[in-house]
Amino acid sequence: MTGLAFRLALRGVRGGRSGWFTIIACLALGVAAIAASLSLDQSLRRALSDDARSLLGGDAELRLTYRPFTDDELAFFRLYGDLSQSAEMRVMARSGPRQTLTEIKTVDQAYPLFGAVDLAPALPLQSVLAKQDGKWGAVAEQELLDRLDLKTGDEITVGDATLILKAVILREPDRAGANFSLGPRLLVAPGALTASGLVQPGSLVHYLVLERLAPGRQIDPFKQALAERFDPQPWLFRDSRDATPSLKRLLDRTTLFLTLVGLTSLLVGGIGIADGASAFVDQRMADIARLKCLGADNGLILASIALQFAALAAIGIALGLAFGAAAPFAVIAWLGDRLPVAVHLAVEGTALAKSAAFGLLACMTFAATPLARAAAVPGGQLLREKMAPPNLPFGWARFALVAGSAFCLAALTVAISADHRLAVWFVVGGAASFGLFALAGKMVVSLARSLGRRLATRHLSLRLALSSLYRPGAPTEGVVLSLGLGLSLLVGLSLVEVTLGREIDDQIPAKAPSFFFIDIQADQAEQFDRLARDAGADQITRAVMIRGRITRIKDVPVAKAKVAEDANWAVKGDRGLTVAAQPPADANIVAGAWWPADYDGPPLVSLDANIAKGFGVGIGDSITVDVLGREITAKVASLRRIDWASLGMNFTFVLSPNALAGAPVSDIATVHAPGDKLAAVERAVSDGLPSLSVIRIADALAQLRRVVDGIGLAIRAAALVALLAGALVLAAAISAGQRRRIKEAVLLKVLGAARADLLRAVLWEFLILGLASGVAAAFIGCAIAYAVLTFVLKLDAVLLPWPVLATLGGGITLVAACGLLGTFRALEARPAPYLRGE
Amino acid sequence: MTLPIAAQPSILLENVCLTLAGPAGPVNILTNIDLAVAPAQSLGLVGPSGSGKSSLLMLIAGLERATSGRVVVAGQDFAGLSEDALARFRRDHLGIVFQAFHLMASMTALENVAIPLELAGRPESLGEARRQLERVGLGARIDHYPGQLSGGEQQRVALARAFAMRPQILLADEPTGNLDQQNGRLIMDLLFELQREAGSSLLLITHDPALAERCNRVVKLQDGRLAASEPVAVA
Repeated sequence: MTGLAFRLALRGVRGGRSGWFTIIACLALGVAAIAASLSLDQSLRRALSDDARSLLGGDAELRLTYRPFTDDELAFFRLYGDLSQSAEMRVMARSGPRQTLTEIKTVDQAYPLFGAVDLAPALPLQSVLAKQDGKWGAVAEQELLDRLDLKTGDEITVGDATLILKAVILREPDRAGANFSLGPRLLVAPGALTASGLVQPGSLVHYLVLERLAPGRQIDPFKQALAERFDPQPWLFRDSRDATPSLKRLLDRTTLFLTLVGLTSLLVGGIGIADGASAFVDQRMADIARLKCLGADNGLILASIALQFAALAAIGIALGLAFGAAAPFAVIAWLGDRLPVAVHLAVEGTALAKSAAFGLLACMTFAATPLARAAAVPGGQLLREKMAPPNLPFGWARFALVAGSAFCLAALTVAISADHRLAVWFVVGGAASFGLFALAGKMVVSLARSLGRRLATRHLSLRLALSSLYRPGAPTEGVVLSLGLGLSLLVGLSLVEVTLGREIDDQIPAKAPSFFFIDIQADQAEQFDRLARDAGADQITRAVMIRGRITRIKDVPVAKAKVAEDANWAVKGDRGLTVAAQPPADANIVAGAWWPADYDGPPLVSLDANIAKGFGVGIGDSITVDVLGREITAKVASLRRIDWASLGMNFTFVLSPNALAGAPVSDIATVHAPGDKLAAVERAVSDGLPSLSVIRIADALAQLRRVVDGIGLAIRAAALVALLAGALVLAAAISAGQRRRIKEAVLLKVLGAARADLLRAVLWEFLILGLASGVAAAFIGCAIAYAVLTFVLKLDAVLLPWPVLATLGGGITLVAACGLLGTFRALEARPAPYLRGE
Repeated sequence: MTLPIAAQPSILLENVCLTLAGPAGPVNILTNIDLAVAPAQSLGLVGPSGSGKSSLLMLIAGLERATSGRVVVAGQDFAGLSEDALARFRRDHLGIVFQAFHLMASMTALENVAIPLELAGRPESLGEARRQLERVGLGARIDHYPGQLSGGEQQRVALARAFAMRPQILLADEPTGNLDQQNGRLIMDLLFELQREAGSSLLLITHDPALAERCNRVVKLQDGRLAASEPVAVA
């Protein structure tokens, strides 16, 4: 039986190629998109893991804010291995009239413990940083030289120190492990920072110890020893297993997005797979009827057809895997030096296996029903003139196969995603969109039927178009579904991107301050206010700030407390704390009440409402923070809803006035100034108080805009893959209907239709198809954008018509152009040869 | 060129030749055909398979162009007419019935019949199509698609479509070739009845001598040449 099925399948392959291209192309595209995304993810993840110690700078990193490590602490660390110490802070680098914010870092003789610093020209790091002829050496990223219009050998000043730029940093091994940076890197010797005079009590300085464990030493025992010797531990501890949390988070999100787009392509392509399988079976219907007349049973027929389909699916999946496996090589070559790690590329077996599983499940979900129709072809069909597709009765086995495959597809999607919750939403949203577009397709058919029969005679072309949309077997529903899904993704993502861009270009600058000034010492505050105001600043807001670390939530140590994922960032490192007698001017208190202005009791705290929710705390609960080794426990007095997008003076934690008494606080200030006074304000404050660091909001926004633009480009390119799958389905539908179209065009010509009539009919047909898909996609795309903007990005969703209309117009043009190109042969068909052939 | 009305046969072929390109070189399909069919006259065209009957019909329908000679139908010389002009000519003057029915699979019976009326921009085309379908006994099946109709019913739809515009000339290419005897007889009765009602000229291609005998005249085509032809009485 199996042998016979196999032989029949082999012979059946000769039975025609209908549906072959569609099945192979749709599968290949979807599987390639998923395989590329997963392979790239696996390659990069392995590279990050291989280079983890170099990216962190050691086996472990200990980080203190405000104070250096004590000799006692350092002596203990040395028991376990070699150390490298450094200090980091944000300072202003100046050259003549130019100045820029820079992230200065001191490095000792032991740095780097792993990897190497690459300089241009290639010089030994420690010797170029040493003091020569009374001046300290320094090396910087090219961006710093560009901002200050310098070249190597030129001088810059940092605080009171004059530094000579000896070389440009090409590669700093542990830079990628750092968080978002506001300025280019400047590496100096410890003595140079001391000479700058910028390190004052309350200055925001991070002190780091990097530890290279002695041979035989392991991280966990070291961590354990630290916990036993120092309780509580004043520092933040990281080890090489978590060397690049922000890069890994970025990779998680990018992979999730790309995989979900790949899956959307596979879903859209699923329609093509189903259409292709239908065409495949239809072409073999006469042979199937003949085989049945000769005594073949349903099982044999089904096995033979399934084997033929499996061969095509295998080709499609293999092509997809080949493209997917090759993609990381192309992407890594394109990214070149922009990657922080060296990626050793390989064929990623696990990623490819997962992608193949997606392809296989998609085949089973979408092709099972069309293939089952093969078994339903009655032998008596042969005696009829036309081979009409048989009606397929409901079957539990088929239902279980389709539903089971669809469930496995959804489960696999959730299982491989870094963010399971988001993946579940994608599955739910995908299923809902699928249902909505299927409904939209049915509505188009129903409307076309109703309108077509009411239309006046003079609209013949339109009526012909409508009848093509509602005739039995018309691909309208599948095309609306597949094109609509692709277009809705494009509409949704374009809206998100444009809204984000608008937020950065218009909304944020309208309410954001012009500058942030940091590290204002208590004795500088008055002078700062005066300098800024005299230079033209029209709004100055100052607040004390000190960094602190949350150690307990409701008296439970942070390590054991349950913290929601979106609030996790608040317990991962130091947070800015402030005190205030009065609520901030724009405070939106949503729970509890602000303390009296003269409150002098035990510490109270006003919390950001979202963080409170993530921590699971409410009014009256306690939060404990560690400030310079001193634990402060405060009761939650009020919750505030904060508009972070204003980039104003916002603090997650505002403590009651006496809570930080005695701590070496400094001030932070925001300054609003008219556009023509910006330079004057910056210059006046910098000249008068050279130790202050200034962050220009316009610079930060420009950097953000560049990131958003880059991401937007990638997002649009990815969404186009889904749209390409939709176009494939459309092309397949046009190709499948080609014979019918030629016949109709010939008959219409015989009956007296001119080519212009036929052209108008085709144009109407595809315009209606494009418009229907586009309008449905606009609604669902807006819903996608609303969900992403409101629930993921927490922005106000505003319906911007242009991205929607542009995508809609593009979609309609694409469909009409595809339709005209695809049916050109039918329009040109000459009647005589065709009639002779019949 | 348009002939004066009084002198017009419905179909006039003068020294018409048709040569088509075949895989083994040019093939002479029709040679020196001279034929005239008077208005309201019925002409049976008989001959063995491959003798060129269908090609002659296509020449007269403007679906094929003569290699040489002159084709004048309903007073219209086909020389120099574009494809679109020929299509408009068919719309206004000809009805054609094929052996293979050639209905539009994507349209209901009603829509199929309405097509020539709609192409001509006739008001109330659907109403007229409905009347035509009732005339051929298919009033109850107007919303059926061709795939849902029997062969006989499909050919009746084709007849209704051919006569919807009350054409000056009806061309029928073996209209009963795909039907059983009983259905074939019914269709032919209907065809001659409609032809008489409309006053159309009829060119009927058939293999059936009995059917051909029902026409006013019979001509025989043999190897692309008219083998026997009676003189034409031009009305």
